[in-house]
Amino acid sequence: MINGLFNQTNYQAAKKLMDVSVLRHEAIASNLSNIETPGYKRLDVNTAFEGQLSKAIESGQVNQLKSLNPSLAEDPNAVAKKLDGNSVDLEEEIVHMNENAMNNKLQAQLISGTLSKLRLAITGRPS
Amino acid sequence: MKILTGIESSTAALNAERLRLEVISQNIANAHVTNTPEGGPYKRMQVVFESALAKQQNTDANGNLKPEAVQIARVEEDSSPTKLVYAPSHPDARQDGYVELPNVNIHREMVDMIAASRAYEANMTAIKFAKNMAIETLSIGKG
Repeated sequence: MINGLFNQTNYQAAKKLMDVSVLRHEAIASNLSNIETPGYKRLDVNTAFEGQLSKAIESGQVNQLKSLNPSLAEDPNAVAKKLDGNSVDLEEEIVHMNENAMNNKLQAQLISGTLSKLRLAITGRPS
Repeated sequence: MKILTGIESSTAALNAERLRLEVISQNIANAHVTNTPEGGPYKRMQVVFESALAKQQNTDANGNLKPEAVQIARVEEDSSPTKLVYAPSHPDARQDGYVELPNVNIHREMVDMIAASRAYEANMTAIKFAKNMAIETLSIGKG
């Protein structure tokens, strides 16, 4: 079936990681939005996700990769540096946002690369 | 499903910071007002931020946390004491020659203004990044 073409572990992992980068951007936007909200705790992608992802990649089971469901959670490592209990740091968020955008770009190129290789294999013509 | 991720949080923050800037300019504009319709000098106003979802259920159907937007809970009067300046010739001077001036500190307002405009910029940057990510996604498979 045609689905078989896309059931490569790396391709599925890149797709999943792209989803994660979008989710993380949502968290960062939320953090920047609440940069001065008293008592706000910074959000990030669930820390358990990375472990689940690497386990799924190691297992080589595409279905296991597909069933991963990243979610947002309060960042357990964030320390409130302000007296009002807010744990958002502007500089940190900007750095995370840059990293995340890079990550998003990388995953987009990996996906594009896989697709263009498939196209090459099908048509015999590069791009 | 939306094209620009996190746009709700970012726009809510832009609105909140704009309102905060408005309140700050109101404070600066009224920094020397000694006579208001309510009587007495102008009282400094300040904004109180809160998470829009703080009071509601903050999770989606699967029990996952949702991103939060900021909103202005209320604009309240600063209860710190007013300044007393000796100026017997002032039309609003009291019997003892002292004038009650508003509890507005211009320097503090300026610093708040910088903080507000920086926060505004940060949220603007977040929107720019969301836009770039969307463009990146839309270009998948090209070339």
